[in-house]
Amino acid sequence: MRAEAQVLKGHLDTLLLASLASGPRHGYAVKEALRAGSGARFDLPTGTIYPALRRLEAAGLVKGTWAEAGGRRRRIYELTPAGHQRLSRDRASWRDFAAAMSAILEAAR
Amino acid sequence: MTSPLIAGYVSGLRRQLPAAVAEEAADGLIETYEQHLARGTGQHEAARAAVAEFGDLAMVVGEFTRQAPGRRAARMLLATGPVVGACWAAALISGRAWTWQVPAAARLSFGAVLLLAVTALAAAATSRRSYRRTRLTAAAGPVIVILDAAAVAAVSLAAPALTAGLGIAAAASLGRIVLTAWTLPRLAVR
Repeated sequence: MRAEAQVLKGHLDTLLLASLASGPRHGYAVKEALRAGSGARFDLPTGTIYPALRRLEAAGLVKGTWAEAGGRRRRIYELTPAGHQRLSRDRASWRDFAAAMSAILEAAR
Repeated sequence: MTSPLIAGYVSGLRRQLPAAVAEEAADGLIETYEQHLARGTGQHEAARAAVAEFGDLAMVVGEFTRQAPGRRAARMLLATGPVVGACWAAALISGRAWTWQVPAAARLSFGAVLLLAVTALAAAATSRRSYRRTRLTAAAGPVIVILDAAAVAAVSLAAPALTAGLGIAAAASLGRIVLTAWTLPRLAVR
């Protein structure tokens, strides 16, 4: 489980970008999208999503804006053009990696 | 907000993080709490579940600190130190800088301020739990700019001849001035 958490952490940026591909979301919604999209397997502590989103914002991959919701201010994130490009690159590289791993593992059966 | 546990957590966020960052994190925690309430969980249990799901306060503050823009910028500026320093050391030694007419007080002041700025950057770069410490970069960055500019100005006034080595060192300092000026506005927390 701990090893899986480490692997997940290594792919956190890609997962966050992917969760924003369908449109703008706030931190909690990003976390819920990851949980729902992974069949509850990727259940990260919500508090770790927010610092990562801010880091992606500083890197110019997402853009954050404040909105009002339920009497509170809420930060909503969306992909920038650079974020879209990075996600496309990550997706392609993941497909290559997964295909190579599958080929080796299947051949070893 | 009715839960003392949630209120205490939010106070902790506000104490340890910049206002905008704390506000965003607090919204996430309260949203988590409200989702548990909406599922019919009692207030006390909903608060406990929300905190467990959000993560321990020290862990969350530590995560914000490790990913703070000031911490990354401090690491980048510190990394330029050996390169720019080596350029200046080579140029000053080959130019026999100890024979130049520069008051000892000016040399000492330059060294002391440089040491202070590097110490502040090192404190920001190594902070793991204190977000406040990462904000030292915002103070040290302009000092580095002033020191680089002062070094270039001092050499152009005091050096008997401008050598290739001094030109390279001055270019390295000017490059770092541009890099620092580009970095500093990105430290603002919105």
